[in-house]
Amino acid sequence: MRVSLFVTCLADQLWPAAGVGAVEVLRRVGCAVEFDERQTCCGQPAFNTGYRPEACSLARRLIEIFESSGADAIVSPSGSCTAMLHHYEQLFEDAGWRARARAVAQRTHELSAFLVNRLGVEDVGASFRGRLTWHDACHGLRDLGIKDEPRRLLRHVRGAELVELPPPGAETCCGFGGTFAVKYPEISVAILDEKVDAIERAGVDAVVSGDASCLMQIGGRLSRRGSSVRALHLAEVLASTL
Amino acid sequence: MRRSDEARREILSAIRENLTRSARGREPRGIAPGSAELGKPTADPGPAARGSKERGDVVSSFTEQLAAVGAQWTVVRGATEAAHALAGILTAAGARRVAGSDAPLVQRLVSGLGDGFVRESLEGLSRDGLFACDAGVTTAQWGIAETGTLVLESAREKNRLLSLVPPIHVALLSTSCICDSLGDALARVSRASHAITLITGPSRTSDIELTLVVGVHGPQAVHVLLLEEEP
Amino acid sequence: MTFDRHARAALADGQLRGALRQATTLFGERRQAALATAPDWEGARDRARAIKDETLLHLDRYLDEFSANAERAGARVHWARDAAEACEVIGRIAEQRGARTVVKSKSMASEEIHLNAALTARGIEPIETDLGEYIVQLAGETPSHIVVPAIHKTKRQIAALFAAKLGIELSDDVATLTGAARQALRRRFAEAELGVSGVNFAVAETGTILILENEGNARLTTSLPRTHVALMGIEKVIPRFADLEVFLQLLPRSGTGQALTAYQSLLTGVKQRPEDEGPAELHIVLLDNGRSRMLAAPVTRQSLACIRCGACLNACPVYRQIGGHAYGSVYPGPIGAVLTPQLFGLGRSPELPYASSLCGACRDVCPVKIDIPALLLHLRAEVVATRAGKQRALERLAFAGYAAVMARPRLFEWLVRAARMLRVMPPLGAWTKWRDLRPLAPRSFREQWRAGLSGKAP
Repeated sequence: MRVSLFVTCLADQLWPAAGVGAVEVLRRVGCAVEFDERQTCCGQPAFNTGYRPEACSLARRLIEIFESSGADAIVSPSGSCTAMLHHYEQLFEDAGWRARARAVAQRTHELSAFLVNRLGVEDVGASFRGRLTWHDACHGLRDLGIKDEPRRLLRHVRGAELVELPPPGAETCCGFGGTFAVKYPEISVAILDEKVDAIERAGVDAVVSGDASCLMQIGGRLSRRGSSVRALHLAEVLASTL
Repeated sequence: MRRSDEARREILSAIRENLTRSARGREPRGIAPGSAELGKPTADPGPAARGSKERGDVVSSFTEQLAAVGAQWTVVRGATEAAHALAGILTAAGARRVAGSDAPLVQRLVSGLGDGFVRESLEGLSRDGLFACDAGVTTAQWGIAETGTLVLESAREKNRLLSLVPPIHVALLSTSCICDSLGDALARVSRASHAITLITGPSRTSDIELTLVVGVHGPQAVHVLLLEEEP
Repeated sequence: MTFDRHARAALADGQLRGALRQATTLFGERRQAALATAPDWEGARDRARAIKDETLLHLDRYLDEFSANAERAGARVHWARDAAEACEVIGRIAEQRGARTVVKSKSMASEEIHLNAALTARGIEPIETDLGEYIVQLAGETPSHIVVPAIHKTKRQIAALFAAKLGIELSDDVATLTGAARQALRRRFAEAELGVSGVNFAVAETGTILILENEGNARLTTSLPRTHVALMGIEKVIPRFADLEVFLQLLPRSGTGQALTAYQSLLTGVKQRPEDEGPAELHIVLLDNGRSRMLAAPVTRQSLACIRCGACLNACPVYRQIGGHAYGSVYPGPIGAVLTPQLFGLGRSPELPYASSLCGACRDVCPVKIDIPALLLHLRAEVVATRAGKQRALERLAFAGYAAVMARPRLFEWLVRAARMLRVMPPLGAWTKWRDLRPLAPRSFREQWRAGLSGKAP
């Protein structure tokens, strides 16, 4: 199985362990991984802030890049960026571009969904000692329906104990929301503090998620509040063999 | 009236223009309204189709729901038992001024109440008199088992105000008139009624600190006298 | 930015935040429990949405059908293009019937058009009778939640308010306070010459209007006074009498977690004989006020499917923190964020579509499956395209720059490397005031890929 990695600009520059971990895990389960260095950003920040023409131009670019790949699947360690690719179709009036967008989207999968649903794999040979809790990143959860898959994968990690977050729960937004986090920081942090309170109540060593943006938001507040709880990307945990 | 006609023309025209504009665009993907047939009734096929559901089951579902929504109920067989139950309910509630609707059965029951009660008839009851009543007695045309709801139709009886203003409402309902579902009831009510009222338990509010208070503007207590069919 | 200021004030109000947390959590739990008692919840949502879609696509036809049937049953139907026209119609009716006091049951549309101010200006006293609205009216405030308008007030505040305005003794007991309101309003119901209500659903097939409630004040408002005026947005119409069932399955469960509210009044025209119970006159006012505009695109048309249940408010992480007043509109929360700019113009509230993290919880709970995030994104694009928001120049520049850089991977890499070396980061005080900022990775993914992760020699 040939996989082309859609690493995302955020992971590339700010959380490369997510990309590195994804490569490691994909290879462990028998995939050949390619990385097209022409990729940069999927355009989500522009799209979410209302800058459609800018988002469109980046979308066209990324569609062309992935079209040129003969890989069986495009895999990304980000639910929100994968969801963005799935939204590409709606960006275009032109039927031709919509068809091309649809074709690329059909081949694009978020990492946990790819492993569990496409490859049928739940045990990726990982070991990680510690108590973990999972945060459902909103786009992955609600746009892509990813809920079960990361939990199945984490439950097979040797030495890891997975606990569910107490109310308001794993499914509640972390308050990032892209530019929302800096446009309305007080509201963003108010939402975030409820999540961080729940994480601290859970008595875990780490909070794990499938989106680097959520991890930056949650991790940034955890450290500001002096917490010892770490924020880890799913790919990091799955790649771990400690 | 003329201004309203003009407004009507403009509004309808604005609607048509905007719908035409939208027809030129694309439908957004994602939300498929489903293959649901419009206007199709819900899963409940109605008692006739179901056939096998026992009357007893319907009544016990109904009374279960009545209790769940905070209404009281008593099963009675025949007018004498009903009269006795009515007197008991009113006495226990300390209700003295009682008004009955124009339904013949209600008239009989209320006029049969002893001298301990002040019996008002709806005919000639002033507004002040209505507000001074402790209890209003009416029938209900239908019951809905799935929610413990009473259905009152204005075309059949003058029950609108007596089921609303006095703090206690006593409703007589024949068990043969209990429907399974809301859809069932909606299919049975007469369109000739200019007012159809669905009543599910006493009035309530949680507007202050989300604390439930039973009995606000409508009645504080609802008693249902379930008239069982003579075998 | 008013929203900014109000949101910050709300966040600083510990009591409000506690009340909101409690209310939204409780309503969420009740809703969840109520879904379990619904026969085929998802099927009901789909059916209801399909009915709404069909209706909106032929709204002109259904409105005419409703109007004709309502009038055939004895009601008078008035059409109002905007708020001023609706206020004029209702004010005139009230004046012509010599109404000095008007009792009102819950109507968001009446708040939308500022009816109370219009009546007061004519020397007519409007009296809110829904307990929460009554409290808010006495306090001279606006409602902060669709279902529980006074959720932002403690019982202590309400007790003080009642002591001052109703002359009762201070009491901590909620039942006592409620009883005081009941007492005060009872006489008003008895004496009012005119009652104004909202409409939850209007049935085209029969000309019937349906009003839902728990308190009984809507029944009193619509059955005691001689004249009843029912105000409704044009989107409230549904095709068939039988359609009421699916909406009655969805609305109470979504709004308060009840299978049914205490009362539903189905009113068709007026009584046939003068000696019958009920008002002698029913006036139905059909309000456009910007709704017809929303029909112009499929994505905006779904705004009109809203049945005003309030479920999206209870699910929204933003509303939970700031409450309804911050939105500065009669319609708060997620649905408010999309209705307000559409009804009152983007220029008036260009920041509302951005006051969301786009989490989608609202879409999950909406009984008619309105895709609020899609609507928010659409409105954001409108704000940018029409330059409706202020202070956008710097942002435009930033996004133009971002697009230019992201189209050039080598430039992108070079800029990041330069920033890393010079330890330059964009001024993100809005982030760093509360959160530590993760530094740029010493080696990006692509650098590691080139250095050997690819499997090829670097």
